[in-house]
Amino acid sequence: MGIDRVETGDAELVRRVRAGDIGAYGALVARYRDRLGRYAVHMIGDREDAEEALQDSFVRAYRSLERCYDPARFGAWLYGILVNRCRTTGARAARRRRLFVHDAEALNDASHPDAMERLEWTDAVERALARLAPEYREVFLLKHVEELEYEQIAQLTGDGISALKMRVKRAREQLQKFLREAEHV
Amino acid sequence: MIVAALLLAVQVIAQNPRLERLDPDTRSAVTIVVDSARGAGLPVEPLIQRALEGTSKGAAGARIVAAVRRLAADLGAARVALGTGASTPELEAGVAALRAGATPQVIAHLRDVRRPPLTIALSVLADLVASGVPADSAATAVLALAPKARDADLVEFRRAVEHDIALGAPPGAATSVRVNAGADFANSPSSPGTVPRPRRP
Amino acid sequence: MFEHDDDIVERMIRQLRRPVSLDPGLAARVMGEIAAPAHPGIGRTWPWLAAAAAVLGAVVIAHPWTRGSGTSTAAFQFVLVAPQAASVSLVGDFNDWDPARSPMRTAQGVWATVVPLAPGRYRYAFLVNGVEWRADPGAPAAKDDEFDTPSSVVTVGGRGS
Repeated sequence: MGIDRVETGDAELVRRVRAGDIGAYGALVARYRDRLGRYAVHMIGDREDAEEALQDSFVRAYRSLERCYDPARFGAWLYGILVNRCRTTGARAARRRRLFVHDAEALNDASHPDAMERLEWTDAVERALARLAPEYREVFLLKHVEELEYEQIAQLTGDGISALKMRVKRAREQLQKFLREAEHV
Repeated sequence: MIVAALLLAVQVIAQNPRLERLDPDTRSAVTIVVDSARGAGLPVEPLIQRALEGTSKGAAGARIVAAVRRLAADLGAARVALGTGASTPELEAGVAALRAGATPQVIAHLRDVRRPPLTIALSVLADLVASGVPADSAATAVLALAPKARDADLVEFRRAVEHDIALGAPPGAATSVRVNAGADFANSPSSPGTVPRPRRP
Repeated sequence: MFEHDDDIVERMIRQLRRPVSLDPGLAARVMGEIAAPAHPGIGRTWPWLAAAAAVLGAVVIAHPWTRGSGTSTAAFQFVLVAPQAASVSLVGDFNDWDPARSPMRTAQGVWATVVPLAPGRYRYAFLVNGVEWRADPGAPAAKDDEFDTPSSVVTVGGRGS
């Protein structure tokens, strides 16, 4: 009996924003915030910097909305803006990459031995990610975490698909190595 | 086992996509309450909104679940008081009135003297209590006005009482003064404007 | 623990796919930046109210959150005086408590927005600067605020679903 709202596609929301309906942009922000936020946090490694990058990207996307030539693929276009924005932050934050734990369950339960193991795993994951070169980390996250297609990633980064696939392969190899090293500490 | 959990998660999200904002444990617990309420024919939208309110405000999962459970129970109680024909807005207002201290008898009496929807009448009762008017004074006032007053009049009444209380009148007295002035309701002028101005709470 | 090499990367990927907690005020800040007027304080005090009323028809049709299909909605205006605020969002039962959905516009420290509401009783609050919850001083209080923050109530009459 609950009434769920009707899902409106990106193209329609973009159309409304262009027609002057700011609230429709709010719906787009709500729709993409969590996904893009996840990418930014893992890419940059610092939650505050990531949130700043995310905020800037959303504002910038709104202000340059006329350059979104295919509103049905607004999401991919938005990712492009965010990926670029994260590159500039990445350079700044490289030195102060902070450890953070976003596994709320583990945090609430820190006294429990399993939870400690989970915390250590989360830590190991973030450290391994941090050790990757930025161009490897970027493609790895876009392909495996954000699950974009290689064609989409190629459009965002301007690289060739075979180069991207090679980077992902290298990234996986390195991550295996880093994670194994962490296990044996 | 992982596949089963994944399928269940997909189902849960498919049925209540907005609950994605909750962490998994809270989401499962809330979904149980929501499904149970749905099965009992109670409206689920208020339950979902209460969960979303809790998560937006950063409340702990246990607290969110407790709030949703309490609301589900109160919606059931409101439906007993208002009857199975009550609409969702009426049930929500009924919950507010019951929580404000209105007895089921008061609500039954309201049903007797006023045609549905009772949303505004019940809300005004709850809102008066929120302003400090004792529950029985609020009930008396609303029941006195209920037979004749339009919804807009009841809202006007509530505003007038709040205004008087803000100026220092004791809440109980403020209601009786305003009720006695209730004879004016039948003659309230309606504004003739062509463009309806947006209303205020 | 012995684990196939690929599996450990897959496990890492599953971990990374989990939701990340973000500051809930972020969306409000985005909308506040976007909605900030380009030319504050032109001429008449409430120029943007007229603009809001003018697009009201579009607002009622465009927003997908009105309860029930075919239920008529009424326009409600929410106002908060907060001259020091950088952003204010209206958040409540009518927009999933999502700060991104109803950012408010400001003129001289008075923040307002107009929202179409179908019949019902709605709890709501203002989220100021993405962090501070404020009740509406001009509205009845929501007495059962179970999450330690102030909220207000607006009730809309008429036939509901």
